[in-house]
Amino acid sequence: MGPLAVNEIISENTNFLLAFIIGIGFGFVLEQSGFSSSRKLAGVFYGYDTVVMKVFFTGAITAMIGLLFFSLFDWVDLSLVYVNPNYLYSAIVGGVVMGAGFIMGGFCPGTSFCGAAIGKIDAMVFVAGLFIGVFGFSISFDWWKELYYAAFKGSPKMSEALGITDGLFALLLIVVASWMFWAAEWAEKKFPQQEY
Amino acid sequence: MKPRVILAIATVCLGLIIAAVPSDTTKPFKLTASQLLEEVNTRTQFIAPETVADMIVKKDPSLRLIDVRGKDEYDKYHLTDALNIPLTDLLSEEYTDVLDQEIKMNVFYSNGSLQANEAWLITRQMGYQNNYVLEGGLNYWFDAIMNPQKPSSTSPDEEFAKYDFARSASQALGGGSIITTVSNSGKLPIKPVITGKPKKKKVAGGC
Repeated sequence: MGPLAVNEIISENTNFLLAFIIGIGFGFVLEQSGFSSSRKLAGVFYGYDTVVMKVFFTGAITAMIGLLFFSLFDWVDLSLVYVNPNYLYSAIVGGVVMGAGFIMGGFCPGTSFCGAAIGKIDAMVFVAGLFIGVFGFSISFDWWKELYYAAFKGSPKMSEALGITDGLFALLLIVVASWMFWAAEWAEKKFPQQEY
Repeated sequence: MKPRVILAIATVCLGLIIAAVPSDTTKPFKLTASQLLEEVNTRTQFIAPETVADMIVKKDPSLRLIDVRGKDEYDKYHLTDALNIPLTDLLSEEYTDVLDQEIKMNVFYSNGSLQANEAWLITRQMGYQNNYVLEGGLNYWFDAIMNPQKPSSTSPDEEFAKYDFARSASQALGGGSIITTVSNSGKLPIKPVITGKPKKKKVAGGC
């Protein structure tokens, strides 16, 4: 049955429309969770506010359980679901750049648009910087090309790399996440910050 | 109890369920029966012998012919560069890389199209792609390519074009010698006469 767009149950245009609606919902939830505040986002790195980590892990776990159960009920064919190809060095370098930008700017790409939408000046500056980065990377791509395509690993899944079933990996991730939530709340008490 | 604790426990329970379910046993085949029926009905798995002959003559590197008959029959005669994977060994692990790939175009053939079609059905059920069946099998291959019948003088031009192609293809594939050994030598003198006829037909078509 699913994925709907791949199996041509819905057209590409309907797919874009759904993506648009889901995107609005995503932005709404981000704003409601306070993600348009750069202080809250940066807090995860200093330990006084870990809501970012909790929200994203909850999102990932919900999607993971949903997809696995959908697959179990034969509602979605997981082999047709797009998995990002992994270029190892790109992922490491990109992760470092993204992390550094996250700490300095106090936003990640999605939340910066959220912040810009409600009129935060720092978020607008961040968005501008984001575009400068995108254009700069595009123009200088030839320089990075070799590094960008190095150490291609295909589209591996963690469960495959560990040699366990998807379900077992899901359970492990849930247990680890639950423990992390507990540790995160402990950290929040340990490094309190005045409410803003 | 706090709602978040209840939620956490519920999530862990769901995780336990999904971890206990063996992921692969629920789907032994990649295609459902109705999906397969649809593919069979559209007959997309069949490749015309003319197409295959054209690819052989042009030495198309993407083509890979697979003979699904037994080894004895393969040794007696097989198409150029064909690989022998007897139907009985189809699911053997050593051939998985050949059958489950995304680069080459595998074309199964047998004497008729039955065995080749069976091989296609099985590999398709496994979810493999890029496997096809030579339409009509070797028998039709000989009729259509190696030993083409000249079209009657009232046939449309395409028939003659097809015939000319088959003639040249069979020569390129070394078919001439096979035909002389298979059929009586009386056929050879006839052929030069036939090549003259299409020219007449062309004139008729022009009028």
